[in-house]
Amino acid sequence: MSDRNRELFALVPASLLLVGGFAAVFIQDSATLSSVSLSYGAVFLGLCLAGHVVVRVTVPHADPYLFPIVAVLASVGLVVIYRIDADLARAQAQWFVVALIFFAATLIFLRDYRKLERYRYTIAAASLALLLLPRVPGLGQQANGAFLGVRLPGGIVFQPTEFAKIGIVIFLASYLRDTRQVLVQGARRVAGITIPKLKHLGPLLLIWGAAMLMLIFIRDLGSSLMFFGGFLAVLYVATDRLSFPLIGFLMFSLGAWFLATHVGHVHDRVDAWLNPFDPVLYDRPGGSYQLAQSLFAQSDGGVLGKGLGASILTLPGGGNLVPAPQTDLIYSVITDELGLTGACGVILCYLLFVARGFKIATIARDSFSTLLAVGLTSVLALQVFVIVGGVTRVIPLTGVTLPFISYGGSSLVANFVLAALLLLISDRARRPA
Amino acid sequence: MLELSSLALQIGFLTVLYVFLFWVATSALRDVAQAGRPAAAADPDATGLHAAVDSMAVASSGADAQLVVVAAPGHETGWTYDIGPGATLGRGDVEIRLEDQFASSRHARIVRQGATLVLEDLDSTNGTWLNDSQLGGPTPLHAGDRIRIGDSEFRFQP
Repeated sequence: MSDRNRELFALVPASLLLVGGFAAVFIQDSATLSSVSLSYGAVFLGLCLAGHVVVRVTVPHADPYLFPIVAVLASVGLVVIYRIDADLARAQAQWFVVALIFFAATLIFLRDYRKLERYRYTIAAASLALLLLPRVPGLGQQANGAFLGVRLPGGIVFQPTEFAKIGIVIFLASYLRDTRQVLVQGARRVAGITIPKLKHLGPLLLIWGAAMLMLIFIRDLGSSLMFFGGFLAVLYVATDRLSFPLIGFLMFSLGAWFLATHVGHVHDRVDAWLNPFDPVLYDRPGGSYQLAQSLFAQSDGGVLGKGLGASILTLPGGGNLVPAPQTDLIYSVITDELGLTGACGVILCYLLFVARGFKIATIARDSFSTLLAVGLTSVLALQVFVIVGGVTRVIPLTGVTLPFISYGGSSLVANFVLAALLLLISDRARRPA
Repeated sequence: MLELSSLALQIGFLTVLYVFLFWVATSALRDVAQAGRPAAAADPDATGLHAAVDSMAVASSGADAQLVVVAAPGHETGWTYDIGPGATLGRGDVEIRLEDQFASSRHARIVRQGATLVLEDLDSTNGTWLNDSQLGGPTPLHAGDRIRIGDSEFRFQP
C-alpha cells in the first residue's frame, strides 16, 4: 500500500470512532438508537477526505500517519464535547472546519516553509506581542488568576499563546541554526560535562528571563513550562550538549520555586496540588475544588469507564460537577467515560504523534528543518504533559488545552497549523532526490 | 436491549481506537527496521519506469553527478547532493545550503557546459577553494576534486 493510500485507509477508524461515540451518547440522551450518528460520521469522513486530498496534492511524500492520528484525536474530542454539551459540539464542529481550512492554507501557501527563516525577527516580535496581548487593559481576560485570553468583538475569546508557541519555535529554530556553532566553541569539558563559556550563556539567560517574565505577567506556570521546555529541547538538539538543558532546567526550577513561594496566585496552585483533599483548601475560591473533583471523576471511571454519556457530569441542582469539563479538564471526563483504557489510548495517540514528529526531525535534510520539527513536536508534547500531568496531579494544575481534543477554536486552529508544518517538513525530507 | 448496545458501542469504541493504535505502531516499527537497510533497497515507491528514465539520463549526460560531504557543519558526512542541471552553494535560499559562518549567501555555483560541470565563485567574501588552491575563474570539475568553502568541504563525484 502506498503512503497516501495508507493515510486514506487510516481515516476510516477516525470516522468509525465518531459514529460509535455519537451513537453511544444518543442512547444515553434519548434512549433510542438513531441513525443520525451515521450521517455525522459521513460528514466527518467527508471533511477528512477533503483534508486528505489537499495533503495528497501538496505534500505527496509526507508522513502518512500524522494526519490520521490528528483526525482520531479530533473525533474523540468532538464526541466528548458533544456528550458535555450539544451546542458546544456544534461550535467545535465549525471550528474543526475552520481549522481544516487553515491546515490546507498552510500546506498550499507555505510550500517552501524555509522562507519563514527570513522573517524570524518579525515572527518573534509578533509572537511576543501576542503573548502580552492578554495584559492590555480592556482587551485581556483573566481566568482563574491567569491572563490567557483576549476578548474579540462578537464574544469570541482568542487564546494568543496557542499561536505564539508556533511563532516562538520558528524563531528559535532559525536563530539556533545560525548560532549553535558559536555556543559550543571554546567550551571546556570537565568530567565529561561541557561547561559553556559564560558569555555564550547570554541567549539562554535572555530566554530564561523571558520565561520568568511570562510567569509574572501572564501568571501561568503551564505555558511558561511549555515554552521554556520547547526551547531547551531545540537547544539540546542544536548543540548536542546535555549541559545546556540541565543548566536551563535548574534555572527554571529555581525561578519557579521562587515564584511559588512569593507570588500568591502561583502559591495557591501549589498548595492545592499538594493537599487537594484538605477541606479548607477545597472550599476556598480558587482552591483545590477543581483538582479534587477531577480526581474523583477519574477514579469513578475504572478500567473500562462508565460508558459514553453515562457518567455523572452535572450536579442535581444544576452546574457542572467537574469545572471547565470541555476545556482544561476534558481529560478527566474522558477517563470517567472511557476509563483507564480509553485514557491510555488517547495518550498513546499523542505518543505516536510525538514519535512521528521526532522521526521527521531525524530524517530532515537541513538543520533548520530538524530544529523546527523538534521544537514543534516538543512544544505539543509538553502541552499534553502540562495538562494531563496537572489533571492527574503529577504537577500543579494550570490551564492549557489538550491539543486537538479540548473545546476552543484557537487551540484547534493553531494545532492544525502545527501539524501542517510537520507534514511540510516531512514531505521535503522524504522527497526522492 | 439499549443497555446492551450501549455496552457494545463502548467496547467497540475502545477496540477501534486500539486497533488503530496497533496498526500505526506496527507500521512505525517497520519504518525503523527499514531505516537500517541501504537506501536503495528501502525505497518501495520507486517504479520500474523511474528507474529506466534515470539510467537513460546517466548514459547520455551524466546527470547524476553529486557532491559528497567530506566535512561540513550541519551536514552529515557521507551525504550526497545531486547537482542535476547545476546547483548553487551558499547560506541563502539556494540548492545546497551551507551552515557555515564563512559562506556568503550565494557563494559559488556549479553549471553544466556541455558534458562537463564547471565550478564558479560568485564574488564570495571568503573565496572558494578547489583542491587546496583558491579558485580564480570558472574551472571544470574532475572526479575526486575537493571543493572547500569556509569549514565545509565536498568531494565531486561525476
